[in-house]
Amino acid sequence: MIAALGLVLGVVAGLFLEPTVPTWLQPYLPIAVVAALDAVFGGLRALLDGIFDDRVFVVSFVANVVVAALIVYLGDQLGVGSQLSTGVVVVLGIRIFSNAAAIRRHLFRA
Amino acid sequence: MLLLTTLVEDSLDEGYARAAARRAAGEAPQRYGPVLLVAGLAAVGLLLATAAAQTRERSSATAEARDALTAEIEDRTTVNDRLERQLDRQRARVAQARTEGLRITAEGARLSTRLTTLEAATGAAPVGGPGFVIRLIDAPVDEEGADVDPRTDSAADEGRVSDRDLQTVVNEVWAAGAEAVAVNGQRLTALSAIRSAGEAVLVDFRPISPPYEVSAIGPADMRATFVDGFGGSYLQVLRDYGIEYSVEDDDDLQLGASAGVTLRYAVSPADVASGTTGGRRPDGERTEEANP
Repeated sequence: MIAALGLVLGVVAGLFLEPTVPTWLQPYLPIAVVAALDAVFGGLRALLDGIFDDRVFVVSFVANVVVAALIVYLGDQLGVGSQLSTGVVVVLGIRIFSNAAAIRRHLFRA
Repeated sequence: MLLLTTLVEDSLDEGYARAAARRAAGEAPQRYGPVLLVAGLAAVGLLLATAAAQTRERSSATAEARDALTAEIEDRTTVNDRLERQLDRQRARVAQARTEGLRITAEGARLSTRLTTLEAATGAAPVGGPGFVIRLIDAPVDEEGADVDPRTDSAADEGRVSDRDLQTVVNEVWAAGAEAVAVNGQRLTALSAIRSAGEAVLVDFRPISPPYEVSAIGPADMRATFVDGFGGSYLQVLRDYGIEYSVEDDDDLQLGASAGVTLRYAVSPADVASGTTGGRRPDGERTEEANP
C-alpha cells in the first residue's frame, strides 16, 4: 500500500514538476528506465517469494541504474555505445522476462 | 551457454535471499525500511514519468521546429514574390523610359524595335500569343504508399513526374517550333535549367509543385508536330506509369518574363548591331509581339 503510494507520488511529481533532464544525461534515460524496471520486477518477485527487503530493493535499483548508465557512458567514450546499450538491454530484458515469469507462476500458479 | 543459464536461473537479486537469511538468523530489521521503500519507489516513478515526458516533449519539439521552418519558408516566399512583382514593375518602367528615349532619333527607333523583338525572343520580356498547354499530373499515391520514405522506396517514385520528364517534354516542345515556353509560369530562356532537389522539381532553381503545366507559344502546326513526334509518344509512355496528361489549345496564352536574364561570362561585341540573342534560336526574330 505504502509502496504504491510512493510510486504514484513519484509519477505525479514527474508529470507535474517536469524536471528538465540535462542534455548530457538524456541518452542514458532509456537505459535507466530499463534498469529501473529490472529492479522493480525483481522486487515484486521477492515480495511474492516472501523475502522482500526494502534496503536490498533500493540499493539494487540505484546500483542498476547507475551501472547501466555507466556501461553505456563508457561504451560511448570507446565508440561502442550502441553495441553496449544493446548488451545491457538484452541482459536486463532476459532478467525482466524470467522475473516476470516467476511472478506469473506465483499469481496464476501456471 | 553458462552465462545465459545463470542469467535466466538467477534472475532474482541474491541480496533478497541473503537479507531473508539474516532476518531468519534473528538480526534486527531495518529502522528506516518503509521510508526507504517509499523514497525508492518515488524515484522509480519519477524516472518513468520523466522519461515519458521527455519522449513526448522531444517529438513535439521536432514538430514545432518543422512548423517554424515551414512558416519561415512561406514568409520568405511571400517576400520573394512581392519583390519579384516590384522588379517586374520597375523593369517595365525602365523599358518604357528606354523606348521613349530611343524614339527621339530614327536610328534609335529602329534599335528600339529590334530590342523589343530580341527581348521577347530571349525571354526577357513578357509575350502573348496562340499555343497550347501540356498538363502533367502525378500518379495518385495509394494510402499505404503515403508514409513510405521516398528515398528508400523506389516504387513510390515511378508515378511521379521527374525533372527529366519535364526536360524531355520541354525540349520536344522547342523542337516542335515553340517560340516561348514556360513551366508553371516560369518562363524559360536559353540558360534555364530544369533540375530536381529531393522530390521537388526546380526550374531556374525555383521549386515548382504538381500539377506541372508546360505552356508554349508557337505556330499553328506546333501541336500536331509535338503530338505526332517523340514528345507525344513520351507522354504515352508516362501514362503507362500512371502519370496523367492533357494537351489543350489556348488562343491567347500570356507568358511572363523570365526572372533573371543575366549573362555572367558572355559579352556582346562592341558592335551592338551584330546582335545579342541568347544563341539558342537566332532565327527567333519573328515573334508574337512583332505580328499582332
